[in-house]
Amino acid sequence: MAFHKVNVTINGEMEQVVVPSNMTLMRMLREILAFTGTKNGCSAGECGACTVLLNGEPVNSCMVLAVECDGTEIITVEGLAGDKQLDPIQEAMIQEGGVQCGFCTPGILISSYALLKRNPNPSEDEIREALVGNLCRCTGYVRIIESVKEAAKRS
Amino acid sequence: MTINTHPTLPEFEYVRPETLAEASEFLTRYPGEARPFLGGTDIFVRMRDGLITPNFLVDVKKLDGTNDLRFEPQAGLTLGAAVNMNRVIASREVQAHYPLLAEACRSVASYQLRTRATVVGNICNASPAGDTIGACLVFNGVLHIHEVNGLRQEPLAEFFLGPGKTTLKPGDIVTAIHLPLPPKGCAGVYLKLGRNKLSDLSLVGVTALGHPDPSLPSGYRFRLALASVAPVPLVPTQAETYLANQPITPETIREAAHLAAEACAPIDDLRGSARYRKEMVRNLSAKALSEVWEKLK
Amino acid sequence: MEKANTQNIPSPIGENKQRIDARDKVTGAAIYADDFQFGNSLLHARIKRSPHPHALIKKIDTTKARALPGVKAIVTGEDFPGYIGLYLQDRFIFCRERVRYVGDPVAGVAAISEEIAQKALDMIEVECEILEPVLDPEFGVSPKAPLIHPDLGQYVVASFILPKPGTNISNHFKIRKGDVDSAWEKCAAIVERKYRIPHIQHVPIEPHVAIAKVDESGGVTLWGSSQSPFAQRNLIAQSMGISQSDMRVIAPIVGGGFGSKAGVSMEALAVAIATKVKGRPVKLLLTREEEFFTAFVRQGLVAYFKMGCDEKGRLLAVENRFYWDAGAYTEYGVNITRASGYSSSGPYEVPNVKTDSYCVYTNHPVGGPMRGFGMPEMHAGLEQCIDELALQIGMDAVAFRKLNCLKTGSILVTGSKMHPTGLPQCVEIVAEAIGWGKKSPPSAPHKRRGKGLALMWKAPAMPPNAGSSAWVELAEDGTLNVGVGGQEIGQGVFTVAAQMAAAALGVPYESVRIATPIDTRYSPYEWQTVASRLTWSMGNAIVRAAKDARRQILEVVAEAWEETIEDLDIVNGVVISFKSEKEIPLKNLVIYGLPKPGDQGWRGGPVIGRSNFMPTYVTGLDPETGQGERAVVHYTTGAQAVELEVDLDTGRIEILKGVSAFDVGKAINPEMVKAQMEGGFVQGMSSALFEILQLKGGVVQNPSFVDYRIATSADIPKDLQAYIVEVAQDDGPWGARGIGEHSMVPTIPAIANAIYDAVGVRFEGPPFTAEKVYLAMQDAGLIE
Repeated sequence: MAFHKVNVTINGEMEQVVVPSNMTLMRMLREILAFTGTKNGCSAGECGACTVLLNGEPVNSCMVLAVECDGTEIITVEGLAGDKQLDPIQEAMIQEGGVQCGFCTPGILISSYALLKRNPNPSEDEIREALVGNLCRCTGYVRIIESVKEAAKRS
Repeated sequence: MTINTHPTLPEFEYVRPETLAEASEFLTRYPGEARPFLGGTDIFVRMRDGLITPNFLVDVKKLDGTNDLRFEPQAGLTLGAAVNMNRVIASREVQAHYPLLAEACRSVASYQLRTRATVVGNICNASPAGDTIGACLVFNGVLHIHEVNGLRQEPLAEFFLGPGKTTLKPGDIVTAIHLPLPPKGCAGVYLKLGRNKLSDLSLVGVTALGHPDPSLPSGYRFRLALASVAPVPLVPTQAETYLANQPITPETIREAAHLAAEACAPIDDLRGSARYRKEMVRNLSAKALSEVWEKLK
Repeated sequence: MEKANTQNIPSPIGENKQRIDARDKVTGAAIYADDFQFGNSLLHARIKRSPHPHALIKKIDTTKARALPGVKAIVTGEDFPGYIGLYLQDRFIFCRERVRYVGDPVAGVAAISEEIAQKALDMIEVECEILEPVLDPEFGVSPKAPLIHPDLGQYVVASFILPKPGTNISNHFKIRKGDVDSAWEKCAAIVERKYRIPHIQHVPIEPHVAIAKVDESGGVTLWGSSQSPFAQRNLIAQSMGISQSDMRVIAPIVGGGFGSKAGVSMEALAVAIATKVKGRPVKLLLTREEEFFTAFVRQGLVAYFKMGCDEKGRLLAVENRFYWDAGAYTEYGVNITRASGYSSSGPYEVPNVKTDSYCVYTNHPVGGPMRGFGMPEMHAGLEQCIDELALQIGMDAVAFRKLNCLKTGSILVTGSKMHPTGLPQCVEIVAEAIGWGKKSPPSAPHKRRGKGLALMWKAPAMPPNAGSSAWVELAEDGTLNVGVGGQEIGQGVFTVAAQMAAAALGVPYESVRIATPIDTRYSPYEWQTVASRLTWSMGNAIVRAAKDARRQILEVVAEAWEETIEDLDIVNGVVISFKSEKEIPLKNLVIYGLPKPGDQGWRGGPVIGRSNFMPTYVTGLDPETGQGERAVVHYTTGAQAVELEVDLDTGRIEILKGVSAFDVGKAINPEMVKAQMEGGFVQGMSSALFEILQLKGGVVQNPSFVDYRIATSADIPKDLQAYIVEVAQDDGPWGARGIGEHSMVPTIPAIANAIYDAVGVRFEGPPFTAEKVYLAMQDAGLIE
């Protein structure tokens, strides 16, 4: 199997990695670069735990080849906070109790962050729709939805 | 699906040709071994399950024109193969002229999956459940296909041969789907029944489009396309013909819905029984046609 | 000076303190088991699994697989002769001689990559002789059924589990209370029903993962996502024939458990493989598909209920038979059978009860503990029968429940007395909040609305000697480090532990740390993180440990100040004297002690408080009658109500409103208690509407999220309310009881009762899919 050189910006830092054809973006992040905040929940594009921003848009990183990311910009959950200042969505998720086991949380945060970027004042139905690709088994989603509403108020 | 699904993608070679000609040539050289891919949302899953074992995945997302979303007031919409569904949904032109297509795209999976999923990919997978196929069918979509010897155009209505089977030959690359201008005064709706409220595959999907047509006895033409109820996306022509010839009333709509249900040949599977699917085709077709009729009246 | 001024310092008990782990979890800093980095020495394991539900292994040939470059080890059952199991040791780590479900591990491979390990699987050749499978528990108990465990009589078993060798029954629990047979003739109404509750799965978003390393000396380290690091230490060591002290389990926070990561599930596989590649860590990470095929399931249940009441609606008799479809190994499931037996009256006082609860081996996936431990399955039927009985006798379902539900001092099904309980208040609250008795109009002509309600009770189900322990120590800066062995699985126990430690010692919540990850070498013993028992049991141990430290601190200060400890208190991290009004911050004395006057040495020293808790007051139950003095520590009780709408065109159900009220004794962190009620409601709702592990010939048909659907953000009700009732528990810290599991117990029957209220149809069991509802309405003539 051939290897490919990939230049990619992750959370603002330039990285150069060499990846085999079959390596997904998720595995590149977790296994080569140790951005373990991105979680592996199903490897099939269904649970959303591995959601990251690829050129500003959320993707399931298990459904993207690392080699396809040459020349792109990636934001992971580790990149949401700047200089110790949490993003409003992170603050809101803590305050509203949107976190339980925390395994879906990185993906939920990325999806919510992207939603608020494209729609700063989402309705409740728009929030629910934006999060259908992020499964959560603990919270029942109630406080996650409240967190997004609260973050919208703050930002 | 086997117990020992691959933990990750099995080995393959990633190939990114610079031109369509190069891509076609490569695909022709390795028939059965090389596959073109767009978002990969379907192919990757099937590779993990061992259902397909390509040696080469040929990335056609950067090739000429595949990223274009172009609306021409005289000609209609041309949707490049690599245009993802979120772009379709967000497009002002699609919203203005083909809201039915945006609605269908929006029913697919999740936002983050739609960043990768494409309409052309949805079509090429040839799943009877494909949510966006119905809209493309009722708008009389035409596929632009690059083949070794040049370009050809193929009406979508003639494209599907069976579940996962199409008229594509090795070396063929669908570069775009073209939708002619929508009929004047048309209205459409896509009703999708899944197990969850959103995000599921369609257990049954009903696409309906209607528009005034003075040449017809009823004065209106209705188009219907049904998902997940036959080996291929189904157009129940008997129902369409019926409504072309009868005055549009609640009763004739019910009868047309009945004809649509009669036309389909669903199967029992994990997601639902044939009996239920048939009932749902009838109920949802009636509902879809009524909603369209309300908009037309 | 009065002690009054301490009253001004707010206690963290009952406060909505911010989760101690929240910041790490929102920044991606939180480390889960799969996040540990092991570098290039890491090997990857994959498991060859049985494709047959029941077969004899004739031959395993690993020659070709061993020759594959990159393969470092292959193991089979031959290498590991020891049994393993929690209550009943009926499993081997890898199958020996026989496979008993589709997915049963036959061989394990360690290789330098997952891909190579995966390739090696296909090169292992297994010859089998196929046997007739048992795919239904009622068939399983019949004499015609093939025996799945011919050696049942030889298995090591806990004293309170009663297997029947020579059958497929691995536990038979009985209740014989009063005289059911003569009670029926006194009944004015009798309901008899059969229910079938399907297998479902826990579906934590974090899949199972274990990494094991064996040293040259034979010492084992296991890193895993685990609710039961100590049980794993004990059970894996026993099975492998090594000393418990040579088995170290390191367990970071868990990405969702719900019972699936309790006991030993797949961890022993990684340990077994690692013994063949000493010095190298071996990682086994289940794929999501493998999770659905092979991780613990909530076992299926076929339940028969007969219930009767007199003309005034008083429950007179209950007769139940439960056949648990417990799967290929019932090492854990046997106790679910027992728990459902001693709770089989439901939360009602019933003078005559006869129950037979059978744990039945089948060739289905292995049943394990799941949130509620048999109670959601049992209540699913029982609480529908209550509605039907009320209807038959002409009483309102809420009035019927109020009349019959447990009150303080009620005689329980096991003959003991109910402790103080707020169940009657819970019923009142949910009935009021849902607008019981008021019908609201549907949102469209083709829709019908209905309301339903259900009650529940549940005790922590565990052996009588399930213990907890804890330690606390203080650092130079006065922060309190709390050692616990209970696991943070999302429920918030580390936060609650910190609140309790802070309150018991007298330091601010913000200066408490929890010693993580749980490491059996350094953390204090905890039986398991199951049964909603930590706030209560581990909480008691923490309070005692903190009091131990407090005593040590006060004794040193009292001696130094020449006062008595009764004159002293610790408030907000400062020792104060009510007598002399002296003060000293803890940080000034907890490590180095206090100097004696005149340079005459020091007193005190590093403070470390330690203690334990075990409910030594729990007694056994008579094996023939199921009667006993105090078979469980306590019952958490509660109620839920729902309002829903049924679409007549599709059968689709939309839950409009959900209301929960539970008596938690004392809410240590009220918002987190409510969060448990919300999350449990939605998991219960998901199991009611969507979830079923579709088994055909023993094979899981829907092993992925594509076809095993769970509730998403779009499916939940717009109005979800949670109410806390607090009737203190005598043996709980500040009166607290558990709440983790209870909130999904009454959801299925509450929804079933609401569907009946809306459209008048009932079902043998969930899930109440749109298709099932639609076809039932059609069969009932409600729609054409």
